[in-house]
Amino acid sequence: MIIPVRCFTCGKIIGDAFEEYTKRYEIYKKAFDAGENPKETPKQILDELGIDRYCCRRMILTHVELIGESAPFE
Amino acid sequence: MKVDIKELKPKKAVLKIEDTQLYFINSLRRIMLSELPKLAIDGVVIYDNTSALFDEIISHRLGLIPIPTDLSLLTFKDQCVCKGKGCPNCTVRYTLSKEGEGTVLSGDLQASEKSWKITEDKIPIVRLYGEQRLILEVEAVLGRGKDHAKWQSVQAPAYRMDISIEFDKSKIEDVKRIIKKLPEGIADIKNDKIVLKDETKLPALESIIDKEKIDFITVKHDPTKITFSFETDGSLTAKDVIVESAKILEQKYTEFVKQLKAL
Repeated sequence: MIIPVRCFTCGKIIGDAFEEYTKRYEIYKKAFDAGENPKETPKQILDELGIDRYCCRRMILTHVELIGESAPFE
Repeated sequence: MKVDIKELKPKKAVLKIEDTQLYFINSLRRIMLSELPKLAIDGVVIYDNTSALFDEIISHRLGLIPIPTDLSLLTFKDQCVCKGKGCPNCTVRYTLSKEGEGTVLSGDLQASEKSWKITEDKIPIVRLYGEQRLILEVEAVLGRGKDHAKWQSVQAPAYRMDISIEFDKSKIEDVKRIIKKLPEGIADIKNDKIVLKDETKLPALESIIDKEKIDFITVKHDPTKITFSFETDGSLTAKDVIVESAKILEQKYTEFVKQLKAL
C-alpha cells in the first residue's frame, strides 16, 4: 500500500528513504534500458542513503506502492 | 574499564570497551531497549479522514514517528503533578491539517511549541488524491520500550567480543588453501595467526570450519574486550542514549543496595 514507516525487523526509519530511492532508481533504469553505463547502481543508492542492513534493504527493494489504486475509495 | 569511542554520530555510535565483562554490556543493552524513555504519539483525535487509509492505520503510522525528546523537561504522565490529566510537563501536542493532492509528511505535524518541532520531517504518513482531506490532533507522551516498540529509541544494539584465530603451524598449507576459499582480501596470515580485515566477516570463515570439520583452526573470543554498537531513530542522540542508560542502570543498583540494607 504505502511504504512502512520503520523496518519490520530492526525498527530503523526507512519511510523517508523510499521516495529518493525511487527517483534515483528511475534514472538508473533509464540508463540501463538504453544500454548506457548507469551513474549509480541500486546497491550504491542504498549504501548512500545509509540503509546498511539487509532487513532494511529488503523493505525498500521489495516495496510496491499501491495507494494510488485504492485512492478512489474512502 | 577503558572506553574508546570509535564512532560517534548523532544517530550512531560504536564504542570499544576494554577490561569489562559481557554481563555488564548486556545489561546496558537491555536498559537501552526496554527502560530508556522517549516520546511517541499515544493519543489521536481524528476530525476528518477521507483518505484511502483507515483511521487505525494512520494512527499506527503516527505512533512510529520519532519525536525529538528532551528528557530533562518531561515526566511520565502517570507520575506527573497533573495526575494523568495531561499538562505541558508530560504531554506534547501536535495538529495536522491537509487537503488536496500531495503527500502528508511527518513534518506537516505542527507542534504547539516550536522547540518540539519534528526533525525527521520526510516520513510519508498518507498520500492524498483529489479532494481528500486529513485533519487530526495528536498528543505525545513518554513511554518505555517494554510497553510498546514505538517507545524504543535504540535500534540494533549489538556487541562483539574481540577474536584471535590460531592454527596448528604444521598444517600451514591447509590453512592457506582455506584462506583462498574465502572472499578475496578478507583474511591474511600474520605472526602465526589469521587476521581478518573486517571482524564482522568471521561467519565466512566459521562456515568453512563447520562444513569441512576442521580442527586445526581455533577461533578464540576474549570476553573482556568488547565492541558495542547501536543506532538511534533520531528521537535521542547517540550520546544522550548512552549517558541516560548508564544513569538508569546506576539508579537500579542504588535502589537494590537500599533494599538490601533494610534486610
